[in-house]
Amino acid sequence: MRPVPPPLSWLPGVREAAAKRVRRWAHQRQGRDNPVTTLKPGRVYILPSGVGVVFGVMAFAMLLGAMNYNNNLVFLLTFVLVGLGLVSMHSCQRNLVGLTITFAGAEPVFAGDTAHFCIALNNGAKNHRCQIRLTGGDKPSRAVDLPPGGSEILRLAVATESRGRVHLPHFAVRTQYPFELFRAWAWLHMDLHGLVYPSPATRPPQPPGSVRAPGHRQHDARGEEDFAGLRKFQRGDSPRNVAWKAYARAGQLFSKRFSGADTSSQWFDFETLEGYALETRLSILARWIVDADRGGEEYGLRLPGSEFAPAHGAAQRLSCLEALALFAKDPSA
Amino acid sequence: MRSSRATDGALLSSLPWTLTALAVAALPHLPYLPIWITAASAGGALWRLVIEQRRRPVPSAWARGSLALGGFFAVYAAYGTISGVGPGTALLAIMASLKLLEARQRRDQFVLLFIAVFLNMAALLREQYLWSLPYLLLSLIVTMAAWLRLTVPAGQPSRQTVGTAVRLISYALPFAAAMWVFFPRIATPLWSVPIDTSSGLTGLGQTMSPGDITSLSQSDRVAFRVRFDARPPPPKDRYWRALVLHRFNGRTWSGSSPVPDRRFRERTAFLGDPVDYEITLEPTRTQQLMSLDIAERWDLEQTHVSRTSTLWRERPVDQRSVYRVRSYPRYRLDAELSDFGKSRYLELPDGQNPRTRELARSMRSAARSDRDYVKRVLTMFNVDSFHYTLQPPALGARPVDAFLFATRRGFCEHYASAFAVMMRAAGIPARIVLGYQGGEINPLSDYLIVRQADAHAWTEVWLKGSGWQRVDPTAAVAPERIESGRRGAALDGTGAAWGLSTPSRLAYRLSMTWDAINARWNEFVLAYGPENQQRFMRWLGLRNPDWQRLTLVLAIAVAALVAVVHLLLLLRFRPPPPDRARQLYERFVRRTGVRPRPAETPLDFERRLSTAVDADAAARITRAYLEARYGDGGEQALTELGQAVRAFKRGAPT
Repeated sequence: MRPVPPPLSWLPGVREAAAKRVRRWAHQRQGRDNPVTTLKPGRVYILPSGVGVVFGVMAFAMLLGAMNYNNNLVFLLTFVLVGLGLVSMHSCQRNLVGLTITFAGAEPVFAGDTAHFCIALNNGAKNHRCQIRLTGGDKPSRAVDLPPGGSEILRLAVATESRGRVHLPHFAVRTQYPFELFRAWAWLHMDLHGLVYPSPATRPPQPPGSVRAPGHRQHDARGEEDFAGLRKFQRGDSPRNVAWKAYARAGQLFSKRFSGADTSSQWFDFETLEGYALETRLSILARWIVDADRGGEEYGLRLPGSEFAPAHGAAQRLSCLEALALFAKDPSA
Repeated sequence: MRSSRATDGALLSSLPWTLTALAVAALPHLPYLPIWITAASAGGALWRLVIEQRRRPVPSAWARGSLALGGFFAVYAAYGTISGVGPGTALLAIMASLKLLEARQRRDQFVLLFIAVFLNMAALLREQYLWSLPYLLLSLIVTMAAWLRLTVPAGQPSRQTVGTAVRLISYALPFAAAMWVFFPRIATPLWSVPIDTSSGLTGLGQTMSPGDITSLSQSDRVAFRVRFDARPPPPKDRYWRALVLHRFNGRTWSGSSPVPDRRFRERTAFLGDPVDYEITLEPTRTQQLMSLDIAERWDLEQTHVSRTSTLWRERPVDQRSVYRVRSYPRYRLDAELSDFGKSRYLELPDGQNPRTRELARSMRSAARSDRDYVKRVLTMFNVDSFHYTLQPPALGARPVDAFLFATRRGFCEHYASAFAVMMRAAGIPARIVLGYQGGEINPLSDYLIVRQADAHAWTEVWLKGSGWQRVDPTAAVAPERIESGRRGAALDGTGAAWGLSTPSRLAYRLSMTWDAINARWNEFVLAYGPENQQRFMRWLGLRNPDWQRLTLVLAIAVAALVAVVHLLLLLRFRPPPPDRARQLYERFVRRTGVRPRPAETPLDFERRLSTAVDADAAARITRAYLEARYGDGGEQALTELGQAVRAFKRGAPT
């Protein structure tokens, strides 16, 4: 027996396709947006919501009733409702017009993690703006109220699969306030992107160059004297380094830092990893960098065509991982 | 399934609002609803609140379904039907409480608020008093605040929610007013409305059986109000004809259903001066329209004159109606009557009321003419021991005989019926007219109020040469009933003999004032139909106001109001004015004549300026500005900044 599709199952698809076409048209009309964009009236679109359609049908039914019974108070009630509809349509659109939307950056993530695009909404008007949310990426953001002069940062999540850049080609700022009779929205095409590092390999080979094994193994063997303190747990830290005792006390995850006297510099070289596929090589390099950085060690990175002199700290980690992320990628993509 | 019915208290912030909205919308229906529906709805609401508070699951679909079915049949059993305002409201109330029981999402609450709006509408279909308007506004505010509550974060202060609802409704009111005035009203209904005959609204019946009713309704409810263009006629000439009855079966008088009379103008001669007036008729749910004596022209659509010269409308008067009429108190109606026509008005059932017939025959043979005979019968009512009373004894199987020879006590119906039988028995065509007689002038506003208790019955007899003549036998028995009206008799104390009490002066004044306000409300608001709208549009200067023109004006008015709301919103959403320190600093910047670069700090700007202007002054102003805007300098720094900027001269290093 063939499965019977549920009634109107084609409807969401049709709606989506239509929305896509209209959004493309809006894109052509508006062009690319600046990372700081203040919404002009011409680009805030508005349509009745589901509740609004029912509201309209109800008002029409009441109008017919009023006409039939020639009942002037029912006429009045109907017209107050119609007036409320008009007023709420204008309020809904004005709720967005004049709103300033600023791209506030996206933290780099490892492939497979979820990237978060931070988008700031700023209300430069004397009036409250209510119930504004963003849609785009994987799921809509929460709704926020903005007092006069107030601003809020909302995050849009996009799941990543592979290293390189994660894109948020478009998103929408939306509101249904007041009464949810209408939904107003504006599409923004800021072409936002964030970095996606290669995901660190789970079972990497020993890093070459330096004669030692990765820091923590030796430290474990050597005992406690090289323990250099705790720092907040970061994604990518090995669970072996988690200070479980501290976690039990404070309820927060910390990683142990070790600093041996042996902060001798080491080179992580792409060429030494022959026999691995390209992406695997990059993953292994990423793992080495993350571990070395966690250990506070100095390291340098050699990639075909680029080289990063040995150093340590956040800046080194950032530039090395960025180089891995964008290695052999089309810079424009 | 259990988990899908669980509640988590999430609705606690909006559910009480929705419930309040429903309660306020349902309140005007309570006097009309069976008590069990009120109890069931209130119980359902309370149950649901407890469920939400204790985080219990809502009842299962099976339980809700059987409750719904039970509610439906209970309403059907109570009313015998499910259409009409009464059963409709009952069903709405039941539906609301059932929807409430299953409400777990915002969407369910939207449905409840839609029901609340419908309940508001149904209340207006039931009754439209003066206070219905403020109550409607109150109910709308509550409903829309609950609506708003569904769309804002849970923690919002209640005052803010109500304030926003009030503000948005106040924006919507001008739209509503403009649309109300200009929306074209139509006369013909879109669909026929079932006539609810269960509650007759009028003091007039469609038939008359004297002796069956032993106590006359004393309802002070207004039947209609009349404004005369000129002086109102004296009370004794205020006979408002509504219905003519000509069939008599010995007990009951009845009429025939109305048909348009095309020969009305041929058989009627209008004499003397006309009387012009406007009637605001309360809904009667019957087809009759009242008019003074014989109407010559009227401005209500779908209205005709019947063969018995009364006005009637194609559909029942179920809404308050305003119409203008021109009547002639002097007329000659049916100067000629065919033999067939005469026989209609001479019919008497055989063998009924034999003593009356006997009396009529003997009195007629003693009289010189028909006219003399009429006079003699009236004199009999006047001189013999007949009494006018509102509480007559019951009459037996032969009501006319019993009345004339035994009880001799009664009100208009008894006298009219006995008189008509006496006429017919003597070969004079006669018929009964039902309508209203008298009414009282409201001294505060100069219009006539006719109440249900002014309902009256009299007779018309046909005399050769002069046609139908009005004869009111009640006037022979109780002239003051006709001279000063029932209300007048009550006021001056003569009515005490008929069982009427005398009201106090203050109560009288208050009731007249209240009635005057209501009369205006009825005329201008409730009866604003096609005719009134046309009149009002002409008064506004709109010539030939057909529906196309009205629609055009309506569109223009709405567009203008949209522009106003747009401006209002622009004002509300304009950027706040820059603070004082910024304004002063910007004045200084203008005076330097140097444009700051984008993202240049005031200190950098000052450094760049130092070559062009008075460097000390620029440094002082910059310091004062930074102190006033970003530091703790406060008022003092602001004053200093103001002085320094005022002292600063345009581009003049000193």
